[in-house]
Amino acid sequence: MLILLKGGRLIDPVNERNENGDLWIENDRIVAAPPGRLADEVHDVSGKIVMAGAIDIHSHIAGGNVNTARLLLPEKHQNHLPNPPSLPLSTAKWSTFETGTIYASMGFTTVIEPAIVPHQALQAHLELSDIPIIDKGTLTVLGNDDFLLSLLREGEGQAAVTDYVASAVAGSNGLGVKCINAGGAAAFKYNARTFGLDDVVPFYGLTSRQIVEALQRAVEDLKIPHPLHLHANNLGIPGNVATALATIEAARGERLHFAHLQFYSYGAEGGHGFSSAAAELAAAVNAAPNVTIDVGQVMFGQTVTVSADVLRQFNGAETARPKKSVIHDGDDNGGGIVPYLYRENDFVNAVQWACGLELFLAIDDPWRVFFTTDHPNGAPFTTYPEIFALIMSRDARAEAIARLPQDAVAMTTLPSIAREYNLNEIAIMTRAAPAKLLGLKDRGHLGEGGLADIAVYSPGKDLAKMFRIAHLVFKDGDLVVRDGRVSRYRWGKALKVNPGYDKVIDRRLAGYYDHHFGVSRDLFAVKENLLPRADAFAEVACAR
Amino acid sequence: MSEARIDGKPASLAAAAERAAEILSAARMPVIAGLGTDVAGARASILLAEKLRGAYDHMHSARIFADLDVMRQAGLMFTTPNETRLRADVLLFIGKDLTKIWPAMIARLSPAEIPAFDLAREPRKLLWVVPGRGGAKLEGLAIQTLDSSNLHMTLAALRARAAGRPVSCAKRVLRKLDEFVEVLNNARFGVAVWGGDSLDSLSIEMLHGLIRDLNKTTRFSGLPLGSDSNAAGVVQTSGWMTGFPVRTSFGRGFPEHDTWRFDATRMIESGEADAALWITAYGPEAPPWKKNIPLVALASPQTAFVREPQVRVEVGCPGIDHDGAEFSRETASIVGRLASHRSPAPSVAAIIGEIAKRIGEDASC
Repeated sequence: MLILLKGGRLIDPVNERNENGDLWIENDRIVAAPPGRLADEVHDVSGKIVMAGAIDIHSHIAGGNVNTARLLLPEKHQNHLPNPPSLPLSTAKWSTFETGTIYASMGFTTVIEPAIVPHQALQAHLELSDIPIIDKGTLTVLGNDDFLLSLLREGEGQAAVTDYVASAVAGSNGLGVKCINAGGAAAFKYNARTFGLDDVVPFYGLTSRQIVEALQRAVEDLKIPHPLHLHANNLGIPGNVATALATIEAARGERLHFAHLQFYSYGAEGGHGFSSAAAELAAAVNAAPNVTIDVGQVMFGQTVTVSADVLRQFNGAETARPKKSVIHDGDDNGGGIVPYLYRENDFVNAVQWACGLELFLAIDDPWRVFFTTDHPNGAPFTTYPEIFALIMSRDARAEAIARLPQDAVAMTTLPSIAREYNLNEIAIMTRAAPAKLLGLKDRGHLGEGGLADIAVYSPGKDLAKMFRIAHLVFKDGDLVVRDGRVSRYRWGKALKVNPGYDKVIDRRLAGYYDHHFGVSRDLFAVKENLLPRADAFAEVACAR
Repeated sequence: MSEARIDGKPASLAAAAERAAEILSAARMPVIAGLGTDVAGARASILLAEKLRGAYDHMHSARIFADLDVMRQAGLMFTTPNETRLRADVLLFIGKDLTKIWPAMIARLSPAEIPAFDLAREPRKLLWVVPGRGGAKLEGLAIQTLDSSNLHMTLAALRARAAGRPVSCAKRVLRKLDEFVEVLNNARFGVAVWGGDSLDSLSIEMLHGLIRDLNKTTRFSGLPLGSDSNAAGVVQTSGWMTGFPVRTSFGRGFPEHDTWRFDATRMIESGEADAALWITAYGPEAPPWKKNIPLVALASPQTAFVREPQVRVEVGCPGIDHDGAEFSRETASIVGRLASHRSPAPSVAAIIGEIAKRIGEDASC
């Protein structure tokens, strides 16, 4: 089928277009205007904004910890809306079906679940299979797994580590590698209560720094497009900007992605011993071109923090609201689920909110700062439209700042920042840059041959509304959303890499599982025939 | 070849699916019960319940909610069999018949072995709290036991003593309690292992409180043994699909969860449910209710029904007759099980698919 989107403003930073024009779609691809042919379907989008479908690089939408959070908080997601018969479970709050439906209605067409340990990969992919419309992907969590730590302790060399990383990513069908408080979860099992970059994991005698460096190297050696995705040490602690700055240094100029940097942008100044150090941190990011970051913006309201940083979650359990939490010492990272209420009139929460916006606005290069709330940790992804408005409008920020405790505002630079993101920068941050960061050459742009993942928005004074209710959304050339309403389900792929490696490591791993765990490693494999639909995966090439 | 029967007479699978669809779609409030099935079967069942605007429940809900109600009211700390095996220097067993609930428990947790990742490399200390003296024997292992005729009292007393508080009891009992507390407080990575019907929510919540308290100074976690027939896997599947565990209804067009209202047996006995789909792919359990209501059964071949179901289809067992994903007690995670004796016996998911396509529009899930 040939579709014409006629007369929209095409915003495509990859191809340096920001102009009115026509966009043609044939089947699942964007094509050049076909001479002499008439479109089967024409959409007049004059006056509308046309961008590639948005890509979320860090959103906790699947896996055992997310599901535990659902089961922990039934009272927080009571339903009241029946779903249309053609969209089963689409109104069931926090269901996988609702997740895909809401993302699509905002113009998102690819979302990455960033924290799947290998032993939870099958469940994660079962969950992702039930997220309609969008494409998905997972990052494989390593860095607290005993096999890796024992390789490093025994000094087995980078080649063995790299083969192991490849085997773990391939076995869990991941798109990249995430490391969460490297060594911290392992140290917590030995009763450590804090864990910094140069603290040593008992039993293994390794520092967090050594683990991160080995993983970073493995990702580069394997030519996995996405750099190591790092959840650093000391998340959420006053004064932890020192850790973030030291970790940027520790990257030694090599590529490194820092997850939810907002949670590491804290100073310890002022009467509350808590202040924003976001300006200093943004300057360090600006000066380190090897580094990319996502923000992890906080928004006020009820949420639940879901993290495989079990040490941090254990320490945070005291602040749970409602007062209950789950702490899981898993085979590797485990995790913690701690409900939390971010309050506008709370000093610390107000500083956190400002820190995120400072990072958005003070990091100059939109290709290196990514749009996230660390869903649901800083806020649910449903708050994205409000965040777009905040970064695009100084007035919107001023209104929001006026509602905060002014002593908290005084601990930040936010009121002095005049910058407003334009639509081209939004398109970079949420389309072009994520595609580049993840190695997804087929999306994030509107060029010929690109995947026809397209979001059309109706511009207006209400910026949040514009991004909440996409006018039209196409996924693989299928029109799936009209004025924010999903018309029908279709099923996307899970994107994965398949790095080559020396299979000798698999035999060693088989022996390790048999001996240490007493179960076969095959139990944890993500076998495609166990998923509800065939062709669940699409491979992304390992090449840089 | 698999058997399908309508009113006790042999029928084709297609005819059985047709009749099942008639019965279930004619009901005002059908309920899907048993739910002893793999992830694919649970998924198909929940989508069918949505289509029928019915409710669904698992045969082991009482056991499921003993643990889950504690988690969602007070929270929980838990670990895995792997971590228990490799790290636990102290194992605190609680409850009767743990090795009956989990015959592989000893092989899996290796209590006789020094935990491989323990820094001190000392033999594990084994404690067992159980009613009666006979319940806590493991061949060849030295176990300290605490005979508890009242688990609520015993766990409360242990928690109080661990927190340094006085308890009022006989000196002999106090000495025993304090011996236990000494071991618990000095654990480096202790794990409490519990299961079975002797623990209700109150005991589990008290145990959770003890575990939380111990973590103020040392590390301690829990290993609930859960239930059979993929109860935990069905709960997980229900969790991501609807946000809720089992005992959920679509009567109003969206999932509502209530452990009392959507108890399948209660709904049937009270007359609220007027047709049932009974699913047991793992074993020959028969429906627990007495009332005679229209019944479609997807069951193991040996299932003995009190009354012949209107429609009955013999289904295969996941991991034996066909591949399946299920929650494994061995690993405390969802794992893939390949068929050990592949057969043509149909899966629950396949039969429900046949029933569902005969009801309403196809939403292509």
